[in-house]
Amino acid sequence: MKVSYNWLKEFVDITEAPQQLGTRLTNLGLAVDALESHANDWIFELDIATNRPDCLSHFGVAREIAAAYGTVLKPPKFELCEAGKRASEVFSISIADTDLCARYCGRYAAGVKIGPSPEWLKDRLEVLGIRSINNVADVTNYVMMELGQPLHAFDADLLEDQTIIVRRAELDEKIVTLDGAERELNPSVLVIADARRAVAVAGVMGGAETEISASTKNVLLESANFDPLSIRKTSRGLGLSSEASYRFERGADVEMARYACDRAAALIQTVAGGTVYHELIDVYPKPRKPIAVNLRRHRIKAFLGAAVQDTTVEQIFKRLGFQVNNTQEGWNVEVPSHRIDIIREEDLLDEIARHYGFDKFPATLPEWSGYGAALPTEAAERLLRNQLAALGYSEIMPLVFSDALKEQRFRPNVEPVRLLNPMAEDEAILRSSQVPSMLRTIEWNLDRGVRHMQLYELGKIYRHGGENRSLILAATGVLRRKTVHELEREFSFFDLKGDVEAILERFDIQLKSSGNSVSAYYHPGRSFRNADLATFGELHPDYAEEYKFRNRIYIAEIDVEIVLSSNGQRIIEAIPKFPSIRRDFSLLLTTGTRYVDVENAVRSVEIPELVRIEPFDRLETGPFGDSKYALAISITYRSSERTLTDHEVDNFDKAILNSLKQRLGAELRQ
Amino acid sequence: MSSNDGIGRLRAIERQFDMESVSVVDHRSLEDTRARYLSRKSGLLTLELQSLGKLPKEQRAEFGRVANEIKLKIEKSLEALQTAIDQREKQAALQREALDVTLPGNPRRIGHRHPLTIVRKEIEDIFISMGYTVEDGPEVESTYYNFDALNFPINHPARDPRDTFYVTDDLILRTHTSPVQVRTMQKMRPPVRIICPGRVFRRDAFDPTHSPMFHQVECLLVDEGVTFADLKGTLERFHKQFFGEKTKTRLRPSFFPFVEPGAEVDVSCVFCEGSGCRVCKGSGWIEVMGAGMVHPNLYGFVDYDAEKYTGFAFGGGIERYTQLKYNINDIQLYFLNDMRFLEQFL
Repeated sequence: MKVSYNWLKEFVDITEAPQQLGTRLTNLGLAVDALESHANDWIFELDIATNRPDCLSHFGVAREIAAAYGTVLKPPKFELCEAGKRASEVFSISIADTDLCARYCGRYAAGVKIGPSPEWLKDRLEVLGIRSINNVADVTNYVMMELGQPLHAFDADLLEDQTIIVRRAELDEKIVTLDGAERELNPSVLVIADARRAVAVAGVMGGAETEISASTKNVLLESANFDPLSIRKTSRGLGLSSEASYRFERGADVEMARYACDRAAALIQTVAGGTVYHELIDVYPKPRKPIAVNLRRHRIKAFLGAAVQDTTVEQIFKRLGFQVNNTQEGWNVEVPSHRIDIIREEDLLDEIARHYGFDKFPATLPEWSGYGAALPTEAAERLLRNQLAALGYSEIMPLVFSDALKEQRFRPNVEPVRLLNPMAEDEAILRSSQVPSMLRTIEWNLDRGVRHMQLYELGKIYRHGGENRSLILAATGVLRRKTVHELEREFSFFDLKGDVEAILERFDIQLKSSGNSVSAYYHPGRSFRNADLATFGELHPDYAEEYKFRNRIYIAEIDVEIVLSSNGQRIIEAIPKFPSIRRDFSLLLTTGTRYVDVENAVRSVEIPELVRIEPFDRLETGPFGDSKYALAISITYRSSERTLTDHEVDNFDKAILNSLKQRLGAELRQ
Repeated sequence: MSSNDGIGRLRAIERQFDMESVSVVDHRSLEDTRARYLSRKSGLLTLELQSLGKLPKEQRAEFGRVANEIKLKIEKSLEALQTAIDQREKQAALQREALDVTLPGNPRRIGHRHPLTIVRKEIEDIFISMGYTVEDGPEVESTYYNFDALNFPINHPARDPRDTFYVTDDLILRTHTSPVQVRTMQKMRPPVRIICPGRVFRRDAFDPTHSPMFHQVECLLVDEGVTFADLKGTLERFHKQFFGEKTKTRLRPSFFPFVEPGAEVDVSCVFCEGSGCRVCKGSGWIEVMGAGMVHPNLYGFVDYDAEKYTGFAFGGGIERYTQLKYNINDIQLYFLNDMRFLEQFL
């Protein structure tokens, strides 16, 4: 809200310069967002918290300043000369829905002369960014900026039957508001109506039909109080907000309505002439009951951490317009009507802290015993992240919004979590897979000339009724650049597999092919799946083409919850006492024989002394025909009890070769 | 033949050796020289020693003494030459395999952590060291936990679908990490000392200062005797740990529905140390958090005795702290994942 320095000075003597005043306001909780000089004035842009509607006016801000400086708050001076008839003789006002309208004050001004406002009035509004309309409309805005009470002026002669009824709108009732738009109403909207129709959307905006115009002679001035929730709903529902609705939806001072009405009537008299009739029509069915809150002395130190002198406490409240009565334990504090935010003891403690000064309280550390702890999986997560970094993967953090159609290409059988109000159509769901956002990231980098990368993301995927953390790895381009020392090496499927194995090994999980089929976005011949634990491989060329990827893209999806919660117990074994023996075999195998079958054939012999089996060479072509290939494997034996003899090992070899021959028809290459 | 002649010959051999040894530069000339003087069959000195028997008895001792003296000298000399040649050859070999060590090393690819992860872990570690426990909660959250139980009135603007992502009427993407406060208080009795880092969402367009997705960390302490002064001290300690011991912390009154008194938290500008610069717009202070004493209404939702317990809560954006730590002025950089940005972090 914009506040004029000169205007404030009408209500409180200020000796400090605007900059110092600004600091003071900020320290009181009225944050100064900007301070600009304007002709011979200074304009403060204040950020008023939603719980302080009492500060949405110059008088309200002046009240805080007066309390802070301990100076006198001076209300506006005006004289209202009533004359002519009694207002209630020519006009009637009633409230049909008292739950939404607590009070309605009306004044009748006859014979006014509508015209431009005098310069002083125009200036006051214009420095605050409010456009001058005519003298009467300007007065209503002026008083709102002065006292915080929104007002409205009707052309009284256009009100049917000289009647105002505050009621809920009827179904399908319509109104053209001052901004020229036709609005459809419904019974949740409170309106100001005359005998025939709605003439204003209560607390939000007046109607065009009863607007003050050059030909207006008689004015009905409204100063009312409406239910905040109802105003907010209406404002939202109609997509219409105004300075008035801004104040009403935060809560206006019900006791201000009458005073502001008189103040505005007096100003109208000054700037537009005419006769303000006797009597203010005040419909106030249930007057506000005073609220008093108890404040216990000991709570000040217990809650704020420092004792504040009794006289200081009393002074703070008195200056803010509260009535303070002593009680045995402290005080009984009567809350003024403009402070709708104060209903309990803590609210009073807040006032003390604010006006005593946040900076006057000491800075201490709370006493405690106990211990702090990370999330249960944190240690494992750090291990995982270190491992990923060591393997060359860099962490990314993409947005989790996704496009339903794109997502469907990757998760065809998942009904995604949809947003009712997305920012854009292609950001309408929460992702159910990390793959599309990873591919987008790769695309982004490739488009910018970054061609070689290894990336990972540890983030959530979403489904109805749940969200899980998940891990994705991706790589493309070369693993090792060409240098003067080394040849270039392209990242390969087996680099990816090695990385996945290394990660799982960290958590004592063994990778096993489960033979289940992989998703359609994987290359069917270059992918691997281990049940729900991990799927990895090359991106299917069709998908790569959609993204216009020219290089092979490798991705690995790992269920990180399984990994992080794996409680595999690492047992550290003693260093072997006896030497191991390694035997190498060059096998001739039928083309199509998979390595896993070779390993299974070897292991099926169940030799306890076998400690390792490792392939180390593979030849697709050679002097053995097209239907065969050569595979060299090494087998390591060791006993924990003795040094193995050649004879024993020869027997192991024989058994293994026999099994290979039996199961796979494997021959030793001569 | 006289002994004088014999010793004279020996001395001549010695002189000859002294002259010749100067030209011994490698193993071959060394072996040649050795053979010439000491070879068992034809060495000059060997031959002289073999002639010992022919000398008169009384001269033999003297001749033998001198011959042995010279032999020892030659052997020692040859040994020294040998060592010198070995050294030289080793040096030469090392020289031959010398590399141009000024060439760059083979590059190693080591992954980079995301800056938000680095800062988040750092913040977590500081609070863990101060006795707080890390808690987390769901990102798709009920309006009850995100608003109602945090004392947001039903008409509060934060609930507006223009600001908050809705999944259903009562399910949203959490707009702050504060729901974890309520969830935690529901499952345990005081003392509660937690921090909740996590991802939050607000309906803001993606631009240099806004992102629809960002991260917060929130702290909650509820116990007997917790005061506003403790809140100040805790914030001050945290900021000194995070930004350095010179950092000052300031609280200004503000309003959040779930705390009272509420405060905005400023730190002395990390770039100009409070003297005023472009980043702090000359004020010397930078706003980093919202904070306050837990509103007693919250205790009603979790059935704590507001007479017995008091507490404080504060929270701030992890992006904000990262920005201040690394001087990053565009929030989009965190989520575009451009490698040229990410690879600058360790």
